[in-house]
Amino acid sequence: MDSTELEIVFKKETVSKVLTMFFKDEKTKVSSDAVNLMTEMLKIFAVEATRRSMKQAENEDCDVVDLEHVEKILPELLLDF
Amino acid sequence: MDDKEAYSQRLKAAVHYTVGRLCQNAVADCEMEVSRQAIAAIAETTFRQCDIFAKELEAFARHAKRHTVTTDDVKLLARKSTALQKSEELALNNQELKKRKKNATKRKSKDMENEADEGARGTEN
Repeated sequence: MDSTELEIVFKKETVSKVLTMFFKDEKTKVSSDAVNLMTEMLKIFAVEATRRSMKQAENEDCDVVDLEHVEKILPELLLDF
Repeated sequence: MDDKEAYSQRLKAAVHYTVGRLCQNAVADCEMEVSRQAIAAIAETTFRQCDIFAKELEAFARHAKRHTVTTDDVKLLARKSTALQKSEELALNNQELKKRKKNATKRKSKDMENEADEGARGTEN
């Protein structure tokens, strides 16, 4: 039953607070199910950004993923989301 | 206004922390390393993307004449890629399965309590 890997996730409270902070209308709230889904989505976003940057670094024969690799994949990433 | 700034900075730091851990994890699998600036850039982008997501979610909810953002709004947010839609559906299904399991165990414990009560009453009679 015990998984050897601990899954890294965003804390639901953080996600909820961040979203609520950016709402223009004070009355807007988020359902807890929606927060769960958004947590998943943000995790996918961050991991996708990392993976694409890694791929870019690999293509350039670099061992370290650096800022320039992130900059190169950024436009496509933002369009895909 | 300063309070809001400080609040925003704290949340950004929280996001940065988790993004950093996610990055390190992903990079370690391929035996690569990631620079601090790269992590900072990804964290900042994720934070700004939250802004975009939040405004879109709010617009969808308002369009549906609601004040509460629901899972339907989040599903609409994932419309740009089919893979994303599928993973959101999976996450939703997992949630529902967990809820059903919770309700099932609640019912079981309630049933056991009822049985215990009936048993007690039976012995009294």
